[in-house]
Amino acid sequence: MLGRVFILAALAPFADAAPVVEQEAIPGLPAVKVQDLHYGDVLFHFFQDDHFDALVRLAAYRDQGRLAAHARDAELLRGGLYLSLGQHREAREIFERLLADASTPPEVRDRAWFYLGKVLYAAGLYEESDRALRQGGGTLGEDMEAERRLLIAQGLLQRQRYDQAIAELSNWQGPRYWLAYGQFNLGVALVRAGEGARGLALLDAVGKLETQWPELMALRDKANLAIGYAKLQAGEPAAARLALERVRLTGPQSSKALLGAGWADAAAKQYEAALAPWQELQGRNLLDAAVQESYLAVPYAYAELGAMAQAVEYYERAIAAYDAERGRIGESIGAIRSGELLEAAMKAGGDGREGWFSQLATLPDSPESRYLYHLLAGNEFQEGLKNYRALDAMAENLATWQQSLGAFTDMVETRRKAFEARLPAADARLATVDVATINGRRDALQAGFETALAARDIAALATESERAQLDLLDAVDAELARHAGDASYDEAREKARLARGVLVWKLDSEWKVRSWQASRALRELNATVYDARTRETASGRAREGAPEKNAALGRRVERISPRIVALAVQVEDAKAAQGRRLADIAVRELEEQRQRLDEYSVQARYALATIYDRAAAAPPPAAAEATP
Amino acid sequence: MKTAIITFFLAAAAASMPAPGDEAAAPASSGDRSMLDAEVQSLRREVVDLNRDLFMLEEDLLFPASTQVAVFVSMDVGTFFAVDSVQLKVDDKEVANYLYTEREQEALKRGGVQRLWLGNLKAGEHEVTAFFTGQGPHERDYKRGTTLKVEKGVGAKYVELRITDTASKLQPEFAVRVWE
Repeated sequence: MLGRVFILAALAPFADAAPVVEQEAIPGLPAVKVQDLHYGDVLFHFFQDDHFDALVRLAAYRDQGRLAAHARDAELLRGGLYLSLGQHREAREIFERLLADASTPPEVRDRAWFYLGKVLYAAGLYEESDRALRQGGGTLGEDMEAERRLLIAQGLLQRQRYDQAIAELSNWQGPRYWLAYGQFNLGVALVRAGEGARGLALLDAVGKLETQWPELMALRDKANLAIGYAKLQAGEPAAARLALERVRLTGPQSSKALLGAGWADAAAKQYEAALAPWQELQGRNLLDAAVQESYLAVPYAYAELGAMAQAVEYYERAIAAYDAERGRIGESIGAIRSGELLEAAMKAGGDGREGWFSQLATLPDSPESRYLYHLLAGNEFQEGLKNYRALDAMAENLATWQQSLGAFTDMVETRRKAFEARLPAADARLATVDVATINGRRDALQAGFETALAARDIAALATESERAQLDLLDAVDAELARHAGDASYDEAREKARLARGVLVWKLDSEWKVRSWQASRALRELNATVYDARTRETASGRAREGAPEKNAALGRRVERISPRIVALAVQVEDAKAAQGRRLADIAVRELEEQRQRLDEYSVQARYALATIYDRAAAAPPPAAAEATP
Repeated sequence: MKTAIITFFLAAAAASMPAPGDEAAAPASSGDRSMLDAEVQSLRREVVDLNRDLFMLEEDLLFPASTQVAVFVSMDVGTFFAVDSVQLKVDDKEVANYLYTEREQEALKRGGVQRLWLGNLKAGEHEVTAFFTGQGPHERDYKRGTTLKVEKGVGAKYVELRITDTASKLQPEFAVRVWE
């Protein structure tokens, strides 16, 4: 009887021989040289595992047209982000759209097939997943390629196509981390295909793995536990013990390993040795099936050793422990019904990052938190709590936006009032600016310069003082002309001629430089006038468009507000429903535990009664020994 | 016989793996469960869409393109410099003073680009100055500044502060680039 029970208890941990598929961070993004800063901003959040914020920014920047240089990578990332948030339908749509686009480059196509394969696998569509995964090879990175191969093999195992899984995994050489999972799965496939010896040899190799990676240590424990129980079933207790001894004492498989080690000793008739691991178990949480069994196993060993007094004592201790635990379960069910469990789970879970789960084991022994660790070990409760957390985060997000929206409304109104207040002064300032006149003067200057250039009119580029000098010389020449033929003016005529010559020579020799400077000055003037015109136009547009723009923003705020309110109500309702569902799961699980404890309690009482009956029927010396 | 026992053992183990038909074969409550799961998925999609719209609305409202200036920080390799903090001044006025967490440093090294500051500036010339502090070569404390004159026009302006490694000098280098 006990043998059947302990085997059933030991089977539970072999549910999973693969790394987490669904909710992990998206691996293997290729090195990206960022060409759009906003894409880099999305990656900044993504690399910090802030997937929700990364997704929101990605969607916003995409709609704002800021991701043009990374359009396909961004789509791939968007699909991956939806996948990581558990939004399989959206992820699948995105990957399928990418694959339907003939212009998608091969490396993006390969990754899209890979992610699509993962989505389909997570949805349990193994055939379709297999087809997708087999399409996307070639350009994937080493880790992603290894994961692809492993997923294909896991899909085959799920469909019980062991021979194909064996073919897929045999002779496969991947990175060490993935290789260990591959070996484990190959071992399982071989055993299931009827090649027990080869399969166990592979599991044995995984069981002797030297590693510092926590995930691989856990895998190693699983392999050793599998070998241990298989050897036990095969009637090889010594080999079983060797494997079970390799399981870490602090890991999640340790209780089952201790229980198995005890049974290995018992199978070899080493009952005294069996007591050590079984008694070690009695200090542990009684919700653990292995611990529950140890309460029956210890007195069983004492009985086998003929120590009936201790056997009686430990059976009574087992009955008391089972009863006490049933009482505590009853208290906890009450706390769960009143919603305290969820509060404890939300507090204990922290931000859900790595390591939070193991911390649950150290929670205070109160009715609301006592069984949290145990409940969270169950996939259904864990998935449900994940949803509950997501809904809680959504509710918080919506509440924050609801507050901000009030500020947005005020801002739109303040801006409208400020615009109206500033409008008269701005209009007055705009009225004093006459860009058209400035523009006309600029055009006249340009025309004059072009005429001077064409005629090589050196006087046109004279400075103000030179122009004054030229005017003076013209006046002198006119005066001299009135005295034409008078020799007394000859010296003056000569001086005037010389002065004009010097001035003309200077203007002529500097013609090139001056015309270049004038040309540059005109260009600068053009730019300034252009800026002035642009600003005038922009000011005019702003003057005309600002009220409409502001009103449009106001309408957007008004339209979005009911969406937030409606969503907040839906989220609260869903959260309440999710809470009820979690409570139901927890109560159902604890009720099952209570029932199991009832059964154990009955077994203990039966065993105790049997001892008493034997003692009563035995001759006096033996009876004395059996009395507690 | 031995194989049969092992097979039984591993087959029983596999039974708890999720399988395609599990949902349909589960007790009646699983229907509610998958409805609830579908509702959570649908709500999450709506919340993402709503957040996207609000993100854009907030930006349009607070930082219209005509005055918007965004300053980004990026890092290339980061062998010679581990950034601890950055102080940003615009026209000699401090607008951002940011301390980096380990996760953020790692995200920068992996190619992420941080939007350090989003603000409004009038059209015309502005001076953007950034001071980086952190660990330089040989784990020495390191502080460097970089400045750039930025001409703000009518459209949004993006400024990238880039920390790069110069292998020839075994030193970090701080560059500023303006994106239109």
